[in-house]
Amino acid sequence: MIGSMLGTARAMSSNVNGLSELLRQAVVEVRSGDTGSGTGIIWGGSGLVVTNAHCIRKGASLQVDAVGKWREAHALAYHPDHDLALLAAPSVSGPLLELRDPDTLRPGELVFAHGHPLGIRDALAMGVLHAVTRDRDKSARWIVADVRLAPGNSGGPLVDAEGRLVGINSMVVNGLGVAVPASLVQRFVERALSQRAA
Amino acid sequence: MQVHSHRVCMSPKSEGSTSTLSELSSQLAAAVETAGNSVVAIHARRRIPSSGIVWRDGVIVSASHTVRRDDEIPIVLPNGESTVATVAGRDPATDLIALRISGGVAKAHVAPKADSSSLRVGSLVLAVGRPGRNVSASFGIISAVGEGWRSWQGARIDRVFRLDLAVYDGFSGGPLVDTTGAVLGLNNSALARGTPMALPARAIDRVLDELLERGHVRRPFIGVAVQSVALSAAVVKQHQLENDGGLLIVSIADSSPAENAGILLGDVVLEANEQALSQAGDLLDALAGVASGGAVKLKVLRGGTIKTVSVTPADRGEGE
Repeated sequence: MIGSMLGTARAMSSNVNGLSELLRQAVVEVRSGDTGSGTGIIWGGSGLVVTNAHCIRKGASLQVDAVGKWREAHALAYHPDHDLALLAAPSVSGPLLELRDPDTLRPGELVFAHGHPLGIRDALAMGVLHAVTRDRDKSARWIVADVRLAPGNSGGPLVDAEGRLVGINSMVVNGLGVAVPASLVQRFVERALSQRAA
Repeated sequence: MQVHSHRVCMSPKSEGSTSTLSELSSQLAAAVETAGNSVVAIHARRRIPSSGIVWRDGVIVSASHTVRRDDEIPIVLPNGESTVATVAGRDPATDLIALRISGGVAKAHVAPKADSSSLRVGSLVLAVGRPGRNVSASFGIISAVGEGWRSWQGARIDRVFRLDLAVYDGFSGGPLVDTTGAVLGLNNSALARGTPMALPARAIDRVLDELLERGHVRRPFIGVAVQSVALSAAVVKQHQLENDGGLLIVSIADSSPAENAGILLGDVVLEANEQALSQAGDLLDALAGVASGGAVKLKVLRGGTIKTVSVTPADRGEGE
């Protein structure tokens, strides 16, 4: 009995290690001017980074660090209401994260936040989903999770137990982590890119 | 620039199956759903509502400090329906309140209880609350099990759980549940001045029985203040005492049971119902064991001689 319980905990632990490895490859550190750094998610495999708008100082120089090397980047689009920014960073690449539909989320599910809190690289925090808050039209507006975030987590991924992107960690409210739903991020990126193409 | 399709799966399955983790994750979500079925929102204070548990048919328990009114308490049931509850009783010592719902509540909403005696430090638990319309949860472990804990209001509780999880605004009064969603206890962040604690289900049942029967919990008292004292070896030898300590009576309340029974300032109480006393808590424990209307036999040392005084405790819970 105890043996099998120990096995479960160990299997869980190695699952979490797997998530950490995946996310390590999927994020960058974002630095803008002399403000503190944030986290960014490599979007669509390569060339694009999504982060929080508040991590970017407008007009300031912009760098991203993927594998221990700082590279220049520039902002393509902002959405201040959703606190999102899309960056062009031609030389970065990483795994594609599957997106999690916010309508399928259930309170109590395990979630994981990856980022660089307080300058600590690639830190992972585990918690559970608290709630999905919605706009008047019922569309998901914020993902609220019982997960410990700190400055530097901003712009980083919140994923589910299978590594699917739940949202982008944006702020802490009353001790709870608050993230922008992946569905909103996807819509923001698609609009930004189609406007540029037009 | 090319628009990438973003629905390509890249879950970390190559690192070994995630099944354990996602299994746990969906178990936890299912547990919250099960528990949420018996968690109500109580609108009886400013700001955000607090949580309550449908404990028995038509009876809700919650944290007393979160219910700031005594009449017509608006409740939102798990199914979203609104109703009104009345206070059946409060116990300030354990900060529990019992509410009755007019018109009852569907039996299906009565919380399933778990046996909390098997809980150990490190057991996985969820705190579930309904600080509004929707249910929400936090996750953590039992960080300590306190045996024979005494709350700062003086209530003796056999067992309490200290929690390594966040009890958020509006979570007080909600359930602590196991990974199946069965209720282990009631969460309260005010019981120990901010430390998240949970009262076990068994203690709640005991308090609830009394609250429903008489509207308060019996707190027998005799009206004395005491201080631990050590007895000299000569006194111990002279009276052949088993214990070398006792409780010195340092004040007696007017018209209290102790005064009426003839207890005097300066008496040293050695035993209560043949149980040796060395701390004030021992006397409280002895009084708690006295049946309603019964008397306690105190063995006292007065002026060098041993006397036995019978005192009938009064009920302080009444009128609180």
